[in-house]
Amino acid sequence: MALIATDRLEKKYDVGDSVVHALDGVSLSISAGEFVAVMGPSGSGKSTFMNVAGCLDKPSAGRYFLDGTDVIRMGRDDLARIRNEKIGFVFQGFNLLARTSALENVEVPLLYSTRPVGPKQRRERARLALTILGLDDRRHHHPNQLSGGQQQRVAIARALVNDAPLLLADEPTGNLDTKTSIEIMELFVKLNEEKGITIVLVTHEPDISAYSKRIVRFLDGRIVSDEVNRR
Amino acid sequence: MIHLPSIAKIALRALRVNKMRSALTMLGIIIGVAAVITMLAVGKGASTKLSEQIATVGSNLLIVVPGSTTAGGVRMGYGSYQSLTRADAEAITSEIPSVFLAAPVISGSGQVVFGNANWATAVYGTTQDMLGVRDWTLAAGRNFYDQEIRSAAKVCIVGQTVADNLFGNANPLDQTIRIRKVPFTVVGVLNAKGQSMMGQDQDDIIYVPVTAAERNLFGRRIPGSVHFIMVKATSTDDLGRAEEQIKQLLRQRHRIGPTQEDDFTVRNLTQMLQLTEQASRVMSLLLAAIAGVSLLVGGIGIMNIMLVSVTERTREIGIRMAVGAKTWDIRTQFIIEALILSMIGGLIGIVLGITLAELLSTLAGWSILISVWAIVMSFGFSALVGIFFGFYPAYKASLLDPIDALRHE
Repeated sequence: MALIATDRLEKKYDVGDSVVHALDGVSLSISAGEFVAVMGPSGSGKSTFMNVAGCLDKPSAGRYFLDGTDVIRMGRDDLARIRNEKIGFVFQGFNLLARTSALENVEVPLLYSTRPVGPKQRRERARLALTILGLDDRRHHHPNQLSGGQQQRVAIARALVNDAPLLLADEPTGNLDTKTSIEIMELFVKLNEEKGITIVLVTHEPDISAYSKRIVRFLDGRIVSDEVNRR
Repeated sequence: MIHLPSIAKIALRALRVNKMRSALTMLGIIIGVAAVITMLAVGKGASTKLSEQIATVGSNLLIVVPGSTTAGGVRMGYGSYQSLTRADAEAITSEIPSVFLAAPVISGSGQVVFGNANWATAVYGTTQDMLGVRDWTLAAGRNFYDQEIRSAAKVCIVGQTVADNLFGNANPLDQTIRIRKVPFTVVGVLNAKGQSMMGQDQDDIIYVPVTAAERNLFGRRIPGSVHFIMVKATSTDDLGRAEEQIKQLLRQRHRIGPTQEDDFTVRNLTQMLQLTEQASRVMSLLLAAIAGVSLLVGGIGIMNIMLVSVTERTREIGIRMAVGAKTWDIRTQFIIEALILSMIGGLIGIVLGITLAELLSTLAGWSILISVWAIVMSFGFSALVGIFFGFYPAYKASLLDPIDALRHE
């Protein structure tokens, strides 16, 4: 069964008199364990698609099943629960909480878990996630004391801490230098291959999309190509 | 559901980040709570002092004084007409059910001598009912016997001040003192009552039988007449009825026609004091209400800062929403933050208020009374203010759109 299954997704924005179709009938199916790169120029709808796929935004029309669940008609709090349990986010700007240690940043998703996680267990799980990403010795550092690559790894630890099956990464290497970008991408490959985590990654750099197994290209709110990528 | 200690920790960290701002925001609540506590302490102190004074005068008291006489067009004022008698007092006690006791008084003053000590004091001729009327107890000895009143026995009961000045440490009982050169035997010593509301020393007094006062100390133009009658009603509720019935009875006894004016006046002492007390209570409540308004203004300050905080932390809110924070989680976080602000402010305000009240008491000599109720109430009120004024910013935060919040710079 597909982890992500969308059927003719549409997203319209009213801009004065005209209507902008950010998504114009996107039907896409992504199975568990895939590593997909979503590409396209800016304004092609790839970010809007990621927001909808990440349950942060609602489409104007169409259907979306996430892990078999119809999420279109869900309310705010149910969507929050889905994001908490099923999806890990990695953003271009890291989006870590300032003045908060790496460890506590990783703990945040557990704070909002539907099944209560005690403070001690939260700490343990967050430390484990940081250890996997090789940041255990930096756990008490605040984001401004970490390099960009380290911050992004903290963000990935946060995305992994709740054992979400889906990782959505929006230009995760956009703010990083080439060397660090390679490190992060190799990390994604490892997570995908060793842990079976499904990764959907938005990028406009061919070097980055080269790490994925499948490349989907967007243009003007439509999918224009969908092909297997051989590494 | 989010874990409360964790959320409190987040809130405390957020408040620590802007220490100065948090402190200034709290200041409104601090001043409000301190003002409420101080005002209530001072007000309560004043009304308690008044109540104590009411208690020392004696509760449920009426005083019947004679009317005035007119001599050649010159009105002479109360008491110039010797219309009240001992018999009137007896009739009031026996014929009016709402009256507990009534004691006639012939008042005067005189020099009192014991050995080589002497003292000028007030001397009241009265009956054994006086102690009951004034809720006064004896420190030593006994009250007058009925027989002593009837036979005009030369016995007396002395107040604490008189006893101290005449006898020092010696036992006054059964000693003979001279009041206006007439020997009287001390049979009782009163307990101390302290100052009256007007600052008079109530213990500077000697009671003698009303008959002995008339015969041996202060001669009366009309035999049996007295200066005034003190009456104690059975209860506060009966005061009004007792007043009416005394008027009726005395008009009847004095044979005053329907068109004539009373030749006496009934004064309600307790009522006067109670009115004063009520006025002071209203005053202190008014002051506390004004202080409460400043608490409200402090609450608006909290709301203002919380709104600024929500705007500043829009991105944080977006991050929390993205990783699964629900409406209620965000709302709780900001309400708790406002609550912590107002509760810390409340606690500091309580300490400050108590300190201020104590200072007023020690430096300015005001009587204060800090009640637990006032502390609990003002703390509870400040917590409520925090929740109330924290709600709108929290509500606003919880309804942010996660995508807009994440994009917020």
